[in-house]
Amino acid sequence: MKALSYLLITQLKNRILSLKKKPALLILNIFVFAMLILLIVVSVFATEEMNYGMDFADERIIYLIIAGLGFLFLGINITTGLSTGSTLFTMSDVGLLFVAPISPKKILLYGIISTLGKTFLASFFILYQIGTLKSEFGYGMREILILLLIYVLLIFACQLISIGVYIFSNGNLVRKKAIQAIFITAGAILVALALVYQRSHQTDIMDALLWMVDQNWFGFIPIAGWAVLLFKGVIEEIFIKVLGAGIFYTIFSILFIYLLTSGKSDYYEDVLLSTELTDQKLKAAKEGRKYSPKSNRKIKIKEDNKEAIKGIGAAVLAYKNRLERKRRSRFVYIDGYTVFACIGTGIAAYNMKGNEFAGYIILGTLAYILFFMTVFGPLNFELSKHYIYLIPDKSVKKIVASSITSLLKPCVDGVFIFGIMALLGGTDPLTAIFLALAYMGIGVLYVGLTVMYQRVLGGQPNMLAKAFVGIGLLLIVLAPSIISSVIVAMILPESLRFLSTLPFTICSVAFTAIIFIACGDLLDKSDYLVK
Amino acid sequence: MLTVNGVTKKYGKLIANDNISFEVNPGEISVLLGPNGAGKSTIIKCIAGLLKFKGNIYINGNENKSLQAKRDLGYIPEMPALYDLLTVWEHMEFIARAYSLENWKEQAEALLERFELEDKRKKLGSELSKGMQQKVSICCGILTDPKVILLDEPMVGLDPHAIKELKNLIIERRNKGNAILISTHMLDSVDEFWDSANIMMNGKIAARRTRSEIAGTGEDLEALFFQITESNRDRIGGME
Repeated sequence: MKALSYLLITQLKNRILSLKKKPALLILNIFVFAMLILLIVVSVFATEEMNYGMDFADERIIYLIIAGLGFLFLGINITTGLSTGSTLFTMSDVGLLFVAPISPKKILLYGIISTLGKTFLASFFILYQIGTLKSEFGYGMREILILLLIYVLLIFACQLISIGVYIFSNGNLVRKKAIQAIFITAGAILVALALVYQRSHQTDIMDALLWMVDQNWFGFIPIAGWAVLLFKGVIEEIFIKVLGAGIFYTIFSILFIYLLTSGKSDYYEDVLLSTELTDQKLKAAKEGRKYSPKSNRKIKIKEDNKEAIKGIGAAVLAYKNRLERKRRSRFVYIDGYTVFACIGTGIAAYNMKGNEFAGYIILGTLAYILFFMTVFGPLNFELSKHYIYLIPDKSVKKIVASSITSLLKPCVDGVFIFGIMALLGGTDPLTAIFLALAYMGIGVLYVGLTVMYQRVLGGQPNMLAKAFVGIGLLLIVLAPSIISSVIVAMILPESLRFLSTLPFTICSVAFTAIIFIACGDLLDKSDYLVK
Repeated sequence: MLTVNGVTKKYGKLIANDNISFEVNPGEISVLLGPNGAGKSTIIKCIAGLLKFKGNIYINGNENKSLQAKRDLGYIPEMPALYDLLTVWEHMEFIARAYSLENWKEQAEALLERFELEDKRKKLGSELSKGMQQKVSICCGILTDPKVILLDEPMVGLDPHAIKELKNLIIERRNKGNAILISTHMLDSVDEFWDSANIMMNGKIAARRTRSEIAGTGEDLEALFFQITESNRDRIGGME
């Protein structure tokens, strides 16, 4: 164990010492820590009297959030387990520890402790919710620390599940199907129960969900239910509930660790692939590349020449991107995201019927998702290959050509998404058309921003600085568009309110044109940073 | 002809290339030798127009970022970078169209056959092993019939047949009058055909020799390489 404890301690020590070489990161860490202390002090002492006699929010909301998080982590980790598995290790562990004469059980313990440490650090963000939790629910430090513990337990248990599912189902389709069936059936039963309650009590779905998480039997549902049971036990000061949850988690952890280390099972081979994939993801993130995992879907290459690349010079990039899209999705621009966004919009629009801001809320949510999809999307990927830099054509032509599919995608999505919104949400068709145009406009603007980011921040190795400046640039570019639309919305009479997003659309397109003109020389003026 | 004149490349405070100058003439194979981190790949990327730098680089008399320079340049990167969703043949077609090549199919067929890729024509980039990807990358770099060729550690990951073919190809291209620059840290791999060698250390060119100079003096390139790299290491060690 000496080598492993040395490794754990030395890594922690070096991580802290490395801050000396990164003053910006050191300042950020000190700032975050100081803010945290300030928040704790202020919320613990300052609001003690304010809370006295106040009506707090329904506690079941917190139970529902815990359960929701639990199911979300569970779903993600089971899906990962069915494909590549999760990992507690890094490639250096594989290369140096797995081959060393150290017991695999001890190495597993090292992996667990190391992962728990990282998870614990990541969970500190919960402490920033102290203010809200205290003012809305009247919680003190005890409850907040329990929430922190629950978060760590959820992440840890779900990671174990992911590895367990992978070991149990790797290469066995029947087992994979069985796990999927169990998870889907369990989910369907819970949804059915909530719907039955909603129908029989003539209430809304939120009320039904709140009822469900408050039931005693919910505490017996693995992972998510146990987390709710633990928190309820602390809140209601019922020791048996806390003990029950503790026993459940302990038995579960022992069982899964036993599965990993027992008999002939050799977890080294099982975690190798997932460790390699995790390592590739991390490397891609560090180099600012997009990580594209190998798809299991067999892509059929047509014998005829109908799929061939067309165009000459820079234009070939547009045709190549279109061909790549076609190979990812049969309908080229209509893909999984289009379907997901349409379903989400349909549900939201239906539930917010009659709300005059529904369209804008949906537009804002979709614009938020679209930002990440575009900035880390195809253009960013194209810039990670050297070909675009070498093609003998003007930089601006190459940038425009390689952006065409990214420019068209939100246009196609906009038609479907806001068409669905008009259909299911009863939104006035003119408003839906102008919202779709605004969505297209912001999609176009994000493509422009991707080019601008590469031009302004392409050579910046510090990811944190990139993120800060990136968000700043986004706000600067978005502000005039949003302000102009808000002003127009206030001026316009009710009958012409549907035009309120038009200034936003026009500004977005105009800004994009300016960015393309100003940053069109990107390929001549920026560094290609991928090895 | 390739002319590199006073090129300096910095990454923050780190000077990756420090005032580097050299030339590669038509019909010459020049090698960049040096240990890991000497700055070989950086200067190759500067020449290929992938990095910003201070100084001047000319490809056949044209500034390296000009369109004509790009037309005359072939670049084979250290790490093959293929498109996952394009087949081997589509990579050829993509390059041919991007460079507006005519009558390229015969040349593409010949290259694929030479590197034993004929049966992989319909394989997607994602379905190829790293070695196969490197072979496709070589074919893409050569298809445009470039006058100046840059090869960054080109033998890494190749099988013996592909190494032999690549060496033959490099010699053929020299005989056709191409200026060829190869970066490597493996002297043995270029021993048979190099014409001039630049030994790099800490971002600078520490020594330059031609084959004829070495033949005349009896100097050994490998001995010179170790003399430069190891004396530098000792000097740095002494300073520490």
